[in-house]
Amino acid sequence: MPGNVRTILHVEDDPNDVLLIARALRKAESSAQVQVVTDGEQAVNYLSGTNAFSQRDQFPVPSLILLDLKLPRKSGIEVLEWIRAQPGLKRIPVVMLTSSKQPIDINRAYDLGVNAYLVKPVNFDALVQMMKTLDSFWLGMNEHPSTARE
Amino acid sequence: MDPAHNRLFGLTRESAPAPRPRQPEPSSDGEVSEDEEKVNILLVDDRADKLLALQAVLRELNQNVVVAKSGKEALRQLLQTEFAVILLDVSMPGMDGFETASLIRKRPATEHTPIIFVTSMNQSENHVARGYQLGAVDYILTPIVPQILRSKVAVFVELFKRTEEIRRQGERLRELEEAAFTRRLNEAVDRLEAETKRNRFFTLAPDMLGIGHFEDGRLLQVNSAWEKILGYTEDELKSVHPFDFLHPDDRPMAQEKASTLIHGSPLGYFETRVRHKDGSYRWIGWTAAAFHAEKLVYIFGRDVTQRKTNEQKIESLNAQLKQRVQELTDINSELEAFSYSISHDLRAPLRSMQGFADALLEEHGDRLDSTGQEYARRVVNSAKYMDALLNDLLDYSRLSRAELERAPVDLRHEISELLVPLENEIKNKNAQVEMELASQTVSAHPATLRQILANLVGNALKFTHPDRPPVIRIRSEQRGRSVRISVEDNGIGIAAEHCDRIFRLFERLHTNQAYPGTGIGLALVRKGAERMGGSTGVESTPEKGSRFWVELPAA
Repeated sequence: MPGNVRTILHVEDDPNDVLLIARALRKAESSAQVQVVTDGEQAVNYLSGTNAFSQRDQFPVPSLILLDLKLPRKSGIEVLEWIRAQPGLKRIPVVMLTSSKQPIDINRAYDLGVNAYLVKPVNFDALVQMMKTLDSFWLGMNEHPSTARE
Repeated sequence: MDPAHNRLFGLTRESAPAPRPRQPEPSSDGEVSEDEEKVNILLVDDRADKLLALQAVLRELNQNVVVAKSGKEALRQLLQTEFAVILLDVSMPGMDGFETASLIRKRPATEHTPIIFVTSMNQSENHVARGYQLGAVDYILTPIVPQILRSKVAVFVELFKRTEEIRRQGERLRELEEAAFTRRLNEAVDRLEAETKRNRFFTLAPDMLGIGHFEDGRLLQVNSAWEKILGYTEDELKSVHPFDFLHPDDRPMAQEKASTLIHGSPLGYFETRVRHKDGSYRWIGWTAAAFHAEKLVYIFGRDVTQRKTNEQKIESLNAQLKQRVQELTDINSELEAFSYSISHDLRAPLRSMQGFADALLEEHGDRLDSTGQEYARRVVNSAKYMDALLNDLLDYSRLSRAELERAPVDLRHEISELLVPLENEIKNKNAQVEMELASQTVSAHPATLRQILANLVGNALKFTHPDRPPVIRIRSEQRGRSVRISVEDNGIGIAAEHCDRIFRLFERLHTNQAYPGTGIGLALVRKGAERMGGSTGVESTPEKGSRFWVELPAA
């Protein structure tokens, strides 16, 4: 990892949510560097370092992935499934950050090995609180796995 | 007619039908051939020398010769014995030959016995005429020429024998025929009896029984059930090929069955439609068996129309049901998609409204006057309210659709759990919550029960009386096979006329400013209780308080 800066990959197609979550992270005083991709295919490209994302120093492997469910081109569930099948990526913590509270979505995500499932709150203060907890837990307290081989 | 012709005719007529013989007397001559029975010849003459002479001539014929010395004696002999031929002397004292002959002819048994008159040459003219009148067959003139006598008598002996043989053969034949006939008759009687019994079944059977011709399939015999079931008379059924009555679509199958039958394979049960005389079709279930030796097909048919109609009804009902289920499933999945869309897509813009109004206030608030700030706050509040509304609507629609599996639920545990998120509100409002649980368990879907009770406790905390601190009592009691859980408050109460209305969706009694809410909570309580096989209601006194209750099956 370059320096001590942790990278969060935020996969989100709604520009409003991208802005709000960036602001909430800022208000939560997170030191993480946020990389944003806006659809499932780009997420796969970023993580595999292909196409526009071949420069690893510019697009580092993230320490945490925030994944929306409903995405253009490839759904969050498909991206999650793909990540868990990649030897070099499968241990990266993935947190679903979505609007859906449907049990079917929640259960499917856990079945595929998601690390946490969060529903975006409508109240902005609650969102700030959530980002604060997320940052301190996943990027602070949590022990990170080494990159898996095979 | 000339005498010659007459004579000839007479001979033929006389000799043809043979009299019935009696067993001949045992012969005194003793010369009986092994295989040929002797016949009797009667010699009638009053003169012993003549008798002797005749006997001597006839001995050569080797037959049984009986002698009689008078007409009377001859008649006596004729009563006992049957004779092939009688040689009768015409001129005898007392009863002469003619008289004797006429008496012989009068007896039916001897009516046709051939009589040869023996007369002297000089009297022949006179005698011949009379003799023929009396039915003589021939004449012998004395003096006798032995060869002529023998050959004439031999003719009659032979004739008698032949006749006798024919008669015996005829008798034997008749006996054989009679035996055969009797046997056939007995068989026929037996068969008739058996058939009569079978015929009773044939007539009685409510099913169609029939016998058809093996090759062309035409019906030869049908019972009355055919007419009852199909409307055609027996003659109508017999006059047309049975396949003509079949539904055109069923004919190839029936044809196939028929050829199976003719080739000697056993035929299983099958069903066809048959046209009734009134033009409608009846469903008939068939079985048939072929009897090659008799060239007959035995046919059994049962009217299964009712069953078929029922089956078709059930089938069509099933199809309708399937279609209905499919429609409902489609509607349901549409609803799912709709709720999903509410959950995901409608909340995103709300989040933006709220988030950016917040950002506006915080980062650019110094550039807004108090009205502008108030507007921004209103945007935030509206977004919050709409979020609550969407959440409640989602809960309500999920409750309407989801399968709610019931299990025994521990009430104390559930109530303690639902009170946890309300702790701050309870403290802030200085409320007192009491539990009196006479029944500890209830049969319910745990999450739905918690949702119901949380709504009721939430309402009790919301609609408080401004003059007194809220007191909330949560009780449970067994009522028959149910458990009634009630949440009682000392709040503002509800007028009786509103007590039913408030359980309906979006029904509200107060403005959002006075008591915020979505108007969904109590509708959710009622829907949840009903979905779990229970009921809900309220007793209330305005200004004093309300008691909401939910009744659910006991665990």
